[in-house]
Formats: sequence, structure tokens, C-alpha cells
Amino acid sequence: MNDVSGDRWQTARAEGGRVALALGLALAAAFALIAAISAEPATALKTLLTGPLSSTRTIGLWVDDAAKLTVAGLAFALVFQARQFSMGVQGQALVGGFCAGAIALSPIGATWAAIPLALCAAMLAGAAYGWIPGYAKARLGANEIVSSLMLNYLALNAEAYLVRAFYAPRGETKSADFLPSAKFPALIANTRIDLGLIFAAIAVLVIWFALYRTAWGLKLRLVGHNPRFAEYSGIRANFIMVSAMTVSGALAGLLGAMFVQGRAFGNLAIAFEGYMSFEGILIAIVARNRPQVVPFVAFGYGYLRQGAALMGLRSDVPTEVISIVQAIVILLTASTFTLSGRALVARWFKGGKP
Amino acid sequence: MAALLEARQITKVYTGGTIANAGVDLVINAGEVHAVVGENGAGKSTLMKVLFGIEQPTSGSLRLNGSPVCFANPRAAIDAGIGMVFQHFSLVPSFSVYENVVLGAEPKRGLRFDRARAIAEVTALSERFRLHVDPLPAVGSLPVGQQQRVEILKALYSDARILILDEPTAVLAPQEVEELFVAVRALVAQGRSVIFIAHKLPEVLAISDRITVMRAGKTVGQVATCDVTEEALATMMVGREVVLQVDRAATDQTTCVCQVKDLTVMNDRGSPGCSDVSLSVHAGEIVGLVGVEGNGQEILLDAISGLRRIAQGEITLNGADLLALSVLQRRTAGLANIPQDRLASGLAPGASLAENMVATRLDDPRYVRRGLLDRGAIGRRAKDLIAEFSIRAPGPDVAASALSGGNMQKVVVARELSDKPALLLVSQPTRGVDLGATQFIWRSITDARDAGSAVLLSSADLSELLALSDRLLVFYHGQIVAAFRNVPDLSPETLGTYMLGLKRQSPDDMKAGLS
Repeated sequence: MNDVSGDRWQTARAEGGRVALALGLALAAAFALIAAISAEPATALKTLLTGPLSSTRTIGLWVDDAAKLTVAGLAFALVFQARQFSMGVQGQALVGGFCAGAIALSPIGATWAAIPLALCAAMLAGAAYGWIPGYAKARLGANEIVSSLMLNYLALNAEAYLVRAFYAPRGETKSADFLPSAKFPALIANTRIDLGLIFAAIAVLVIWFALYRTAWGLKLRLVGHNPRFAEYSGIRANFIMVSAMTVSGALAGLLGAMFVQGRAFGNLAIAFEGYMSFEGILIAIVARNRPQVVPFVAFGYGYLRQGAALMGLRSDVPTEVISIVQAIVILLTASTFTLSGRALVARWFKGGKP
Repeated sequence: MAALLEARQITKVYTGGTIANAGVDLVINAGEVHAVVGENGAGKSTLMKVLFGIEQPTSGSLRLNGSPVCFANPRAAIDAGIGMVFQHFSLVPSFSVYENVVLGAEPKRGLRFDRARAIAEVTALSERFRLHVDPLPAVGSLPVGQQQRVEILKALYSDARILILDEPTAVLAPQEVEELFVAVRALVAQGRSVIFIAHKLPEVLAISDRITVMRAGKTVGQVATCDVTEEALATMMVGREVVLQVDRAATDQTTCVCQVKDLTVMNDRGSPGCSDVSLSVHAGEIVGLVGVEGNGQEILLDAISGLRRIAQGEITLNGADLLALSVLQRRTAGLANIPQDRLASGLAPGASLAENMVATRLDDPRYVRRGLLDRGAIGRRAKDLIAEFSIRAPGPDVAASALSGGNMQKVVVARELSDKPALLLVSQPTRGVDLGATQFIWRSITDARDAGSAVLLSSADLSELLALSDRLLVFYHGQIVAAFRNVPDLSPETLGTYMLGLKRQSPDDMKAGLS
């Protein structure tokens, strides 16, 4: 929003180029690794690059992941814009998802109110859980990184206990399936593309609007740009900080509901988010915390992620190597987007020119 | 005579294309004080960074004692006998003076730090160069002038033959400046050379033997100090003639706008940073706060603007209690604040100009209604201010960081003066600002005064205070020790004796200047 419209294209091109470069580097590293390990590297590579498009089912997997990554990315982008390094999206998603699941498994789950009520409960619970580290920082000076990470562990274990103790049949790690009225309806039949995609799109619009069209958003960005200036301008930095973390928590709660009530699950399972929340950090960093860019990054990254997962299923590349490839992709993408990373890339390009 | 240090055709282009130095020549002879003068952004600092090995020149060469040298880092420059004292000291406040001086080159006995020898060496060094300072107390407890001596001693301890002083007088009271000059002369008398960066021309003329003038990244010329006048130097620096004076209109100064009564405010260490301060400011009046930095002026301004809680006392604005109001409410009540560190606390560099200019007005229905930004009105305000204050910027949507330093300062000044403030707080308005911009800022402040604003002005530059103020209040150790009407025969030296706490007015004398 800070660029003149003429510059905006240039910026977009420059950053598009950087994304392409990061991807290229990541893929090159992945290729080298796969070529060294796989007996049939060509097949493995083909699966990595084209796997997600191989059927409507896999396209559904990709889009579903991308929707969740979008919401996780938004949740992180929001707190990062306020320069708060809250890492609590995972815990907030677990708390929110648990509350959504509890409503879905209650008698309400059989009525039309199941989806809206569960959604509200998830977002409220997530918001409350996001508020805690914000309040602790504002009031007690507690470091938000530490407190939000600790709250993640608390949520992980509490959720696991509650699911096992009250919802899962003995010896199992997930509840019975929700009634159809409590599951997100599929937008395209027999795929995982469901109502969550719409929620993700709405979330992008709402967060973009809040950040760039409201006084709250401007205050939040000013606090992030320069907290001293915000204080000097009379912006209540503490209020902004706590509210940013709370709204981010609500987004994370939405993410939890999307997991639990989406076509992928439709039940309440232990640790259902599978650490995907943290990948929102990568999405936010690559999107430079701009909500309007987050979905593009989420779709691009989600594609690679899905390709790697399919490669694990369909080729002889062992799952550990898949994780390594994913880690390399994350590492290279993220480090091309730090300041020094960009300087390094710029130097390479300069060196390459005559 | 062969030059001691010679920089030839130094060019420095920063990544991003900024040309900071374009073919700069500098020749330093042994045993001279060589001043380098120029406006801000003339490239003085870059040149010094090249000499001290912090930056590598894009092209050009350095010669030391006639043989070519190339400093990869400050360590190499220090080993070659070059020392530098920065504007912002690089001392460890909790360490004692002698520990700071020997840090990095501690005398050792076996593996142990030989403290006795360190103390003895530092004492000997300070006596030899007439830089008297007690080696034992912690550096953080010393006044700024003493800290500067510690920095100089530190450079001399590593046997610097050439000492670069970067704007050393900016933080000193007139008497301290004189002491610094005594030390500089002692250094030169013992064969050391001093490179003196400054922009206060009278000081340059007082201390230097030769002067190199820089403008816009180039050397304009090198002159012997005895051959130039202040006016000639100023013209060389700016490229045109400058008159640094402002005319102030006669104003009606009968309405009291702001009253401070028995105010005590704690500093960051929890002791009184200003105690029992009482003063009043009238409409159409500039009240100058005089004092060596850190004697309570800044703390007073912070308390009035609401950035610092007070321990006791009263502050009223147009008769209404200010203390009950938040920062934003105080701004709405008519308070404006041009802060000392304008780039660090007066701007959000990553946000756009329009956003920066509206940041202090986010409860104003002209720009924000029901929580939504009126982007049209915000953009128009920015365009108007850009035109009115002739800020050089492509448009209201560029990031503030894309502007030059001087124009960023103007953004802050423009925003604060935009709504005819009842009370304007100004701190160090022209620090780090070149002559052209100084003229502009002085004009803006006096225009606000002439239009009826009450102004509280704090500055380390006495000539600035004397040029602008109607009344002057001298701060020492958090208290007002003297108050004057600004009459033509009031001299910097008179103010200086009060600034350093050598004298204190009787309550009766003070009354005349207090209201």
C-alpha cells in the first residue's frame, strides 16, 4: 500500500522474481538429493512437480491445504505487522478446533446451527487463547515468544487428554465422525474443497480491509514500524498489541474449525493440525506480511508441499527424505527473503552480469 | 613537507547508487588541527569512515607517510595509528574509566588483567595530554564532557598519531568546549594530528590550522584558517550566501498558555530528573530551555507531552489540567511536539508520507470516522503539507524512508505545525540539519510564534537559543537556576556560568525572567 501504483508493478515483478529464484534453488537442491537417493529419480521428480494435478482428488488435497495455510499465514502476518512475535497459532488452533468439535459432537451438532455456532465458538476460544500472551506482555512484560510457545504445549496436551478422556472410544485417538450437519459441505463433490476455502477468502478480505482501511489497522502498522513513534503519536501501543494478538487468535481458531469440521477430518482427533500452523510463519515471511499476497504464497507453497507428500506415497523416496526436501524448500525460500538473503541474491545477479 | 595522511580522489558509491563522495581530496600534515566542514550530507562522515576503515572506497587511494595503505577494517586503521571519536560514544557505561580506556588492549600479568598497571597508565596518559579525568568511577556516572575525554584517551591509549573527532563540540557547554580545545592544542603540541569535523564555524576558526570544505560529496577547497572569515566559509559550504538570522514580529504576550507548577519528574534511574520546576509560557512567546544536555530539559518536555509520568506538580494548558489527559488528548487540546530524535521517534520510516502525517490525528473526525480512514482527506492533507512546506517527495504515497534526511525532518515539522498548535514543544530543532534547512526550521518556529503559539524550545546550541527565544531559563541538575529576558547584551558566557552550576540566581533575580 505504500508504493505508488507505478512502482507497484516493479515491486511485484522484483518480488515475483525472488520467489521464482527461491523456488528454483529449492527445487535444484531437492533434485540433487532425489537423484542421489532414488532408483528411478525421473518418476520421483515427475510426481513432485505434477503430482498435485494428477486427479481431482489430489487437486482437492492441494486446495484444502492452501486454504488452511492461507489462514495460518494471515494469523502470523497480523501479529508480525504489529512486530509481535507470538508463535501461538498452533495452540490457538487446537483450542479453537477443540471447541468447534465439542459443539459438533453435542446435540447442537445435529441442527443447522452446528456450523455457525461451532465457528463462533472456535474463533472466540482462539481469540481468548491469543489474548493471554498479549495481556501477559502488556501487563507483566512476559516475552510473547516464550509464553505463546508454552501455551502451545499446554494446548497440545490438554487437547489430547480431553479428546481421549471424553470423546474418543477407548484405545483410539479420535472421536466418532460428526453428523453431516456439523461438517463443512464440499464445494466440489468428492474432493476436500469445502466451505473452509470460502472462509479463507473472506478472512483475506477482512484482514486486508482492517489493516489498510481502518484506523486500527494504521495504528497497528505504525506500532510495528516504529513503536517509539506510535507512543509519541498517542497511539496506545499496548492496546494495539493485545488486540492484534487477540484477532490473530480468532483467525487461528477459525483454522482449528477448518481442520476439525472440514472434509479432511470431520471428527475430533488428537493434535489434528499436525504442526501445519507453524508453516504459516513461512507463508507470512514470504508474503512480507501483506494479507493480499498470503493466498498466492499459500497456493504456491501448498503445491510443493503436496507434490512432496505424493512423491512419498508414489515413489521409492523414503518419507524421511521427503521431510528433508520440505525442510530445504522452507529454508531456502525463507532465507532468500531475509534482508541479508536478498543482498546475497542481488550480489549473485550483479556478479553474473558483464 | 610530505603529508602525513593523504586521501586522493576518494569516491564512495553506496549500494543503491547514493554517491556520498565523488573524488574527494584531503591532505593532513603532521602536527596540525585540520577541520573538515560542510553541510549535512556533504560527505564528511563517509570520508571519515573511509579513513578509519569502516567503509571501503569505491575508488581512490590513501597514503600514510607517503606509502599507500588500505584499511580493511577499523582495527587496521587503529594499528596504523588512526583513532576516531564518534558523536555517539562507544563506551561501556557500567565499566570504570580505566577499564574502558584499556578495553581490547589490557595490560596483563600472566593471564590476569593487571589493574594497577592499567590505572597507572591511564593516569599518566591523562596527565600527559591534559585530559584530566578520574580513572576509577564508572563511565555512566560521568557528565558527557568527561565521557568524551575517556573516548579520546582510549584512542590515545592505542597510540593514535591521527585523531578524528566527529562533531566533538555538539554535546558540550561553552566552557567544556574551551577545555576540549586546550586538550586538542596539547595533543598537537606533542606532535599528534587532529581531524576536526564540525559545522559550527566560530569553533572551527578558533581551533583549526587549516580547513577543508566539502559540499555535495566533493571538496570545494582547502584554506588556511588565518585566511578566511566566517562568512566566506559559510558561502563555500552552501554555495550561496546565507544569512542566519530571523526577524520576529512584536506579539501580544499577555495570555498565559501553559503553566508548570512545582513539577518533579523521575528519570530512568528513578532519581529526580527535574525537581520543583515552575514556569509559564505565553501565547506568541518562545521560551528557551538552556542547559548542558541531560539537566532536565528533555525530561520536562517529555512530562508535558505525556510521554513520562510525573512524581508531583501541576501542568495546565489554557487553564485546563493536562495531567489527566492521554498523549492523544493532549495533542487534541492543542499540544504539538517536535522531538529531539525526529527520525527515531517522529516518523515511521516504513509507512507512507500520508500515514506519517495523519498518525497524530487518528481521533480527528476529519480523517477518521467510525474507525474507518478517510483516505481522500488524508491524501489531500499530505499533498497540502508537501506543497506548503516544500517537501521534496514524489507524492503522499511514498514511504517516508525514501526521502532524504532533511526532507524527513520537514515531514515532522510540517505535521506538528499543521494545525496551529496552542503549545509547541521543540527539542534540538536543528541538530544534524544543514544551514539551508536550519533557516527553514527557524522560520517555521518563529512563524508559529508570530501566529500566537506558545513555544518551549530546548537546544544544545546557545546561538540558536539566543537567536530565537524571548526568554531563557537555565537548567542545572534538574532545576531552573537562572531566568533571563533575551536582551542583546546577554552573552553565551553568562549563560555558560549558570549551565555549569558555577552560579545561581537569587529568587528575586529569577522572578524577572520567569514570567
